[in-house]
Amino acid sequence: MRRLLALAAGLVLLAAIVAPSALAQFAPVAPESPNAEGIRDSYLFISIFVFAIFALVEGLLIAFIWKYRRQKRPRFEDGAPIHGATKLELAWTAGPVVVLFFIAAFVFIELPGIKDVPEAAAGEQQLEIKVTGRQFYWQYEYPNGVIAIDTMVAPAGEPVSLEVTAPDTDVIHSWWIPSLGGKIDAIPGTTNATWFQAENEGTYTGQCAELCGLEHARMLASVEIVSTEEFEAWLEQRRAEQDTGSVALGKEEWEGVCAKCHGMSGEGGIGPRIAGSPTLTDPEALANIVRNGRRTMPAVGSGWTDEQVEALAAYLKENPPSGS
Amino acid sequence: MAARAETVPAWQRGKVASWLVTTDHKRIGILYISTSLVFFILAGLMALVVRLQLAQANADIVSPERYNELVTIHGTSMVFLVGVPILAGFANFLVPLMIGARDVAFPRLNALSYWMFALGGAVLMLSFFADGGAADTGWTAYPPLSIQAPGNGQDLWILSLHILTVSTVAGAVNFIVTIHNMRTRGMSWTRMPLFVWSVLLYGWLIMAVMPVLAAALTMLLLDRGVSIGPWDVQTDFFNPEAGGSAVLYQHAFWFFGHPEVYIIVLPAFGMISEVLPVFARKPVFGYKAIVASTVAIGFFSMLVWAHHLFTVGLPIPLQAYFMIASMIIAVPTGMKIFNWLATLWRGNISFDTPMLYALGFLSLFVIGGLTGIYLAAFPIDWQVHDSYFVVAHFHYTLLGGVVFAIFAGLFYWWPKMFGRTLNEKLGKWQFWLLFIGFNVAFMPQHFAGLEGMPRRIYTYADESWEGYNLASTIGSYVMAVAILLFAVNVLKTRRSGPRVGNDPWQADTLEWYATSPPPPHNFDEVPYVTSARPLNDLRRRLREQRGERAPA
Repeated sequence: MRRLLALAAGLVLLAAIVAPSALAQFAPVAPESPNAEGIRDSYLFISIFVFAIFALVEGLLIAFIWKYRRQKRPRFEDGAPIHGATKLELAWTAGPVVVLFFIAAFVFIELPGIKDVPEAAAGEQQLEIKVTGRQFYWQYEYPNGVIAIDTMVAPAGEPVSLEVTAPDTDVIHSWWIPSLGGKIDAIPGTTNATWFQAENEGTYTGQCAELCGLEHARMLASVEIVSTEEFEAWLEQRRAEQDTGSVALGKEEWEGVCAKCHGMSGEGGIGPRIAGSPTLTDPEALANIVRNGRRTMPAVGSGWTDEQVEALAAYLKENPPSGS
Repeated sequence: MAARAETVPAWQRGKVASWLVTTDHKRIGILYISTSLVFFILAGLMALVVRLQLAQANADIVSPERYNELVTIHGTSMVFLVGVPILAGFANFLVPLMIGARDVAFPRLNALSYWMFALGGAVLMLSFFADGGAADTGWTAYPPLSIQAPGNGQDLWILSLHILTVSTVAGAVNFIVTIHNMRTRGMSWTRMPLFVWSVLLYGWLIMAVMPVLAAALTMLLLDRGVSIGPWDVQTDFFNPEAGGSAVLYQHAFWFFGHPEVYIIVLPAFGMISEVLPVFARKPVFGYKAIVASTVAIGFFSMLVWAHHLFTVGLPIPLQAYFMIASMIIAVPTGMKIFNWLATLWRGNISFDTPMLYALGFLSLFVIGGLTGIYLAAFPIDWQVHDSYFVVAHFHYTLLGGVVFAIFAGLFYWWPKMFGRTLNEKLGKWQFWLLFIGFNVAFMPQHFAGLEGMPRRIYTYADESWEGYNLASTIGSYVMAVAILLFAVNVLKTRRSGPRVGNDPWQADTLEWYATSPPPPHNFDEVPYVTSARPLNDLRRRLREQRGERAPA
């Protein structure tokens, strides 16, 4: 019994020594936002126990298999007539309770840092972006009415809070940029909230995490973190463009909304070939089909503002899809 | 039995007809198991196509539509046409034999459950030929996607599950009544085989949660709209457009869905508790603790469903409750694992194929259990939910766990079912191929999930995920070879497998007292049961009568 306990202690110790280097490999992606960091820390903390228990159980299993194998004993010779041991039972009932208590406690300690949006710096207004999940694109709405599709632009170092939802006529999607925190579902009829605060400039990618239909796999999202000045400039430029038929927005709409089914140059895919279709050059027909859909084509642009429809028309006028 | 045979009409005595009209629990058990194995192969083939599509980034082997159908029917089949019914098959064959009864309480209801299962399975498989193809919204069929799904595939999916629900509930009633009322003389609750305990909990859980699934599915069906005679009925329970709640369905589905996992896992646990002691030549360690943990797992499994809903935006206190409740389940599950380990301690272990599978089960199920702790911690779940991490987790519990237990059970009880053993050498090859293939297939999926790969995507552009996916695909085909070996084994030993007598493993429970295979009425007489190991007692008494002394 004493040797067994020593063996068990040795296995746990070994796991504790090996774990830290191994753990970093087996964890969520490198965090770029405090909430993602809190999640990763919780994950790593749990991993210490998980690896220890794993080593203990698999180690004992292998040790017992080796030590108590039959060898030269008769096939049906009885092993030790042991039916149980109350103290052991109590120990391995209480042990996990203690471990789980520590795990739960750690999660609760990390929780505020994961769920609460940090205060914006003094004098600054918190940036809020409305995220709408739709079949099969992400639409972002900035406080000044600027709209972007699939690629979100946000300032470095500032907390950004997101309101995540889906139109009543759509289905459930899930917003997930792994390096910027956990996922939150975009549910028709409900608005959920999440946030991020990225210090480093760069592009962080993710994709829809709830099966939402045929092109679920193509519902990618990315967040481009730029300096505050760049962000302000981008926001103003997009605002100005949007008033005059924004080609930039139109391009995002074509690539994010139309091309996922009809192909990047309108050559057809899940949807039919649309290159050369007269609808693309007729703003009224275009508005009609985008807002209302037709036959199996869903109303991908139901609820789009006139600015959004005009942006698409403006883009298509300048860049008619080639079809190949 | 001659007298009985004469009362059977001539047309029912044929080789095929006698199986069609049978009410014998053993034959129905074998029907259940063999039908489930057919569905297991079909659903496995679907997974192989899925793995082929995912082996490379941007592959184009199946269309997205077909991919979603394959994923949906693979999952639905593995749960409803393999997991639940194959265990119903084992329960059918074993429960009456283990408790010393002649049949189940309601033999004709039993036959009805089987045929409803076969019908439900046929409806699901044939739905591929429906207008618009099979259902393609995942085995969970979340609305509004499942409300909007065009064609009849989704309707047939609902119909199939309704039929299977009726089948499963009828079977559960049968097991519960049989176990409560038909145990032989002396078999008190604490002398009942652990497998029978697990089937009892399987039955009670089905009774508790299957009706909730039926209700949710009925609401979903009505939301999709049905015509009843002259009336068109169209409701909006889950339709947000008309004020319904999409999340309500998820609550109802998982109130059923999480216990469903234990409906499948508990009987698998029960089989492991039967196999381990026999091949370790020891009584099971902590019989009463294992019974208590089975009951505890059954009870708590109904209180944890919303850990599948951590990302829908539930209030934090609610998420905290579901985290703690989910973690509590780890305690009785841990008890079982430690009791099994202690059963091996100081044993005399032989490594026959059933034991290999049981030990494989132990080593793999632990991994599935441990990754469950991450998923229970809700902030971590926000990160890994609906990713390949989850896919890996539940395949470790259901494939590494349950399927390994099922093969342990098949190799262990095969001589009782058919009077002949399966080939040991092929069995061991199958085990190692399955064990290695499984780990190659599913271990990398943890890492793909951690790196951001969501489940249920028909393709991916991120080439850094390619390595994990290629490994997964290779592993899945290695597993396919293992399953092929099993088929070869069955065919090869059908007529030539060695006959090994009534009690080849020198086991503890009553089914080994019957002949192999047992006669229709099971036993001419049943020994009086004085402990949880009646056959061990019997062998000891025989030794004593012969004047031999028990080995020291």
